[in-house]
Amino acid sequence: MGMMEKLDVQADLAREYLTFRLGDEEYGIDILKVQEIRGYENPTRIANAPHFLKGVVNLRGTIVPIVDLRMRFGCSSAEYNAFTVSIILHIGQRTIGVVVDSVSDVMEIPAEAMRPAPEMTSAIEATYIRGLAQVGERMVILLDIESMLMSQDMGLVD
Amino acid sequence: MADTSTDHSAAAGIDLSQFYQVFFEEAGENLENMEQLLLELDIEAADDEEMNAIFRCAHSIKGGAATFGFSDVAELTHQMETLLDKLRRHELVPTPPMVDVLLQSGDALKAMLGRHQGSGGEEVDTSGLLFNIRAMVAGEAPPAAEAPVAKAQVPAAQAPVAAAATAATTGKRIVELRVGPLNDLSQADNLVDLFKEITDLGTIEPLPDDPSLDATRRFKVETASAESELLDLFTFHVAREQVAFLPYGDAATPAAPAAQAEASEKGYGFFDDAPGAPAAAQPVAPVSAVEPQQPKPATAVAKPAAPKAEKPAAALEASTIRVSVEKVDQLINLVGELVITQAMLAQNSRGLDPVVYQQLVTGLTDLDRNTRDLQEAVMSIRMIPMSTVFSRFPRMLRDLANKLGKKVELVTQGEATELDKGLVEKITDPLTHLVRNSCDHGVEMPADRIANGKPEVGTITLAASHQGGSIVIEVRDDGRGLSREKLLRKAREKGIDAPDSLTDSEVWNLIFAPGFSTADVVTDVSGRGVGMDVVKKNITSLGGTVEIDSAEGYGMRVAVRLPLTLAIMDGMSVGVGEEVYILPLSSVVESFQVSQEMVKTIGGSGRVVEVRDEYMPVIELEKVFQVPRFDWEHNSGIMVVVEAESGRVALLVDELLGQQQVVVKNLETNYRKVNDVSGATIMGDGRVALILDVGSLVRRSRH
Amino acid sequence: MHSILAVDDSASMRQMVSFTLKSAGYNVVEAVDGQDAYEKAQGRSFDLVLTDQNMPRMDGISLTKKLRESPQFKTTPILMLTTESSDQMKQAGRAAGATGWLVKPFDPTKLIEVIQKVIR
Repeated sequence: MGMMEKLDVQADLAREYLTFRLGDEEYGIDILKVQEIRGYENPTRIANAPHFLKGVVNLRGTIVPIVDLRMRFGCSSAEYNAFTVSIILHIGQRTIGVVVDSVSDVMEIPAEAMRPAPEMTSAIEATYIRGLAQVGERMVILLDIESMLMSQDMGLVD
Repeated sequence: MADTSTDHSAAAGIDLSQFYQVFFEEAGENLENMEQLLLELDIEAADDEEMNAIFRCAHSIKGGAATFGFSDVAELTHQMETLLDKLRRHELVPTPPMVDVLLQSGDALKAMLGRHQGSGGEEVDTSGLLFNIRAMVAGEAPPAAEAPVAKAQVPAAQAPVAAAATAATTGKRIVELRVGPLNDLSQADNLVDLFKEITDLGTIEPLPDDPSLDATRRFKVETASAESELLDLFTFHVAREQVAFLPYGDAATPAAPAAQAEASEKGYGFFDDAPGAPAAAQPVAPVSAVEPQQPKPATAVAKPAAPKAEKPAAALEASTIRVSVEKVDQLINLVGELVITQAMLAQNSRGLDPVVYQQLVTGLTDLDRNTRDLQEAVMSIRMIPMSTVFSRFPRMLRDLANKLGKKVELVTQGEATELDKGLVEKITDPLTHLVRNSCDHGVEMPADRIANGKPEVGTITLAASHQGGSIVIEVRDDGRGLSREKLLRKAREKGIDAPDSLTDSEVWNLIFAPGFSTADVVTDVSGRGVGMDVVKKNITSLGGTVEIDSAEGYGMRVAVRLPLTLAIMDGMSVGVGEEVYILPLSSVVESFQVSQEMVKTIGGSGRVVEVRDEYMPVIELEKVFQVPRFDWEHNSGIMVVVEAESGRVALLVDELLGQQQVVVKNLETNYRKVNDVSGATIMGDGRVALILDVGSLVRRSRH
Repeated sequence: MHSILAVDDSASMRQMVSFTLKSAGYNVVEAVDGQDAYEKAQGRSFDLVLTDQNMPRMDGISLTKKLRESPQFKTTPILMLTTESSDQMKQAGRAAGATGWLVKPFDPTKLIEVIQKVIR
């Protein structure tokens, strides 16, 4: 299915996206999947997990795995400081946290503003990119966070 | 979602489907009750009250099924009821085949009800059961094999074949039924009897014969059943080709004899001159003060407690309350979190000056005690008696023993012993396998038993008891027991190292070796080819142990020991680097300090440590979990000896941190299974610590 | 408002009958068997008693007999809910003093129809 057709399929709704920064880039994910936003706390390490899987934390009594998206996307640096944010997501039946540099805002992105992403090699496979949105001066990369987190190479699923 | 019923729900604008759930639950209970009563029935000395009780079970299901439109269920239960009625009136004598057919019918009903509730499954063919029951009711012995529906061979019929089976069940209608040509006209009487036996079939009256039709009988039939249904029933007695349905009121037919009492058409009636009857001019009974009655909402989940106004019939009803499982689990979670929060408070307040903060410290001490009590009380809600686990065995054993031609009696002890609900589901399969084993391989054939001076009937005992912080479940049999020789031989055949110096208990444990399954005859429905190794694995994964004891010629005993609850565990926390790991306290044998020299290397890879006179394999947790070290001094100086799956290893750690009760949390909920880790817990400081899977660590050392 | 005593050991039947009658504007008291019904009948009266036959502890026929012994229930309409309309059943019912019978399964409409004939 070509990019244009893919866009058509998704163009029915203008959805709300939570935008966040990873390095120099800005990403957006479906707000409906976001459960809450927290600061970063040191997770308990799990041996033999992929390097971007930092470990697990206690979220009010539930054990939640934490994925550092900056490491996953191959960003040049991944710092943990007072501004580092964890976005807690509800994906299917699971609760999963992702670490980002900072959270921007929630925006409604109409279908017209979406463009297909150009073919290029990147750490993120094209399948996980829904499209690019131009909002004012900003370019937001819209992610299909669910497919990405549930894929085999993320190591979250057996 | 249940499928829709036929006529009834449309009537009076009342949606009957709101009562389905209650009916399904009730029917389920009745079926369980009936099965139990049937299994306990003493054929030679059947108790009247027992027979009545069994009758009522079938009767009750029939009433509901007919009312709510589950006609397949109604039909089968009606037949069962007919048989049971004769039995309770002593018109028939109970026999084992009768009990068997009633048990099988119970199974069929369970399946049919399951389908109506939407749980899928194949359509249930009850024709064989119906046939057998009828035969028994008629006083005949049913054929041993499945009863085929007998279709008599017939010469070309003059009467037209009944219309295609597309007649819809659209309320009552009157048709003319023609049966013939018949060799024996009394065959038609059988059809009349059918209507007598199955009241909801409708009514039937003879009509005067038509001289133009040879050897044919005519009837007026009023029915709400589809012609196809009627045909299915009729073809027990006459051939399909001999039956014809025609519209009633054919002008050519002579006037039918006066109809029966209206009662059979209206479905109700009044006695003349009876008190309160409508015809008599009775004064209306004075209207009494209205007694307020709380309506019971027909919810499927979480039935509320019975309102005070109603006195419960059976003593049992008064003292129990039904709560949904989700609510209980939620309660347990909340209490678990309370425990964690309380632990955090306790930890953070340790540094406080007790004089300055006297009230706070006292309050926290009280909180500690209250939380502990609350936790115990809540955990006990999840505890249910072993009888729920044991309940399936009488039936299973009876069927299996019959199949194998053995005589076995099941004895249960300690049914009231309680265990955690979460364990119940997981313990059932392993126990089933053990009981099957005892029946299949343990208990000998009746003739062999007699030859050996044993009673003909073997005994399998299921016993449950609390011992310390565990629940112990035993499966014992008085069969042939295990043969040390055979086991050793088999082990050697499989290439397992089995010297003669092995103790008896070590020889028995050979059974748990993977692939050892001694010719497991897979006669069960699941056909999973389960072996003893799987049983052991299941039990260990629950944090339990299995032990075998046996005396050749006398019998065998398998003891399963399980922690009382899965959710809370006594743990020992150990430090490795900056990380904390938890060991199940029940698996810790001892601990001691070590220095580098005490740890030796063998064969270049395995490391061992000398403990008294033996060398025990060492597992360095730092290596297994790749714990990062920030200073290069080798800090591991403590060995903790742990035991699991009949093996011991020494775990090398940095320090012992303490012992505490931990709430066990599942990693797989949001993540996945992690090697060597059985779960996680939340420490007093709010951080997550991994709970180690001692069994898997012990297995590591064996490779 | 008229009061009806509905007796049946099957919870689903009781619920159905109760709901039907209440929807038609009657007040309903439920009992789980003959014994329970008899106890609930003490010290009060009803405009109608509907009772199943086969129940534990005390069956419908016995309940009918016992009720007829007390003054409040001498003339109360008592209807038997029965799964058969055999002569045998009718005789036993008449002998016990029942007013009439209603064959199960019945639909809600029929129930109301019959009740309206006996309750004025």
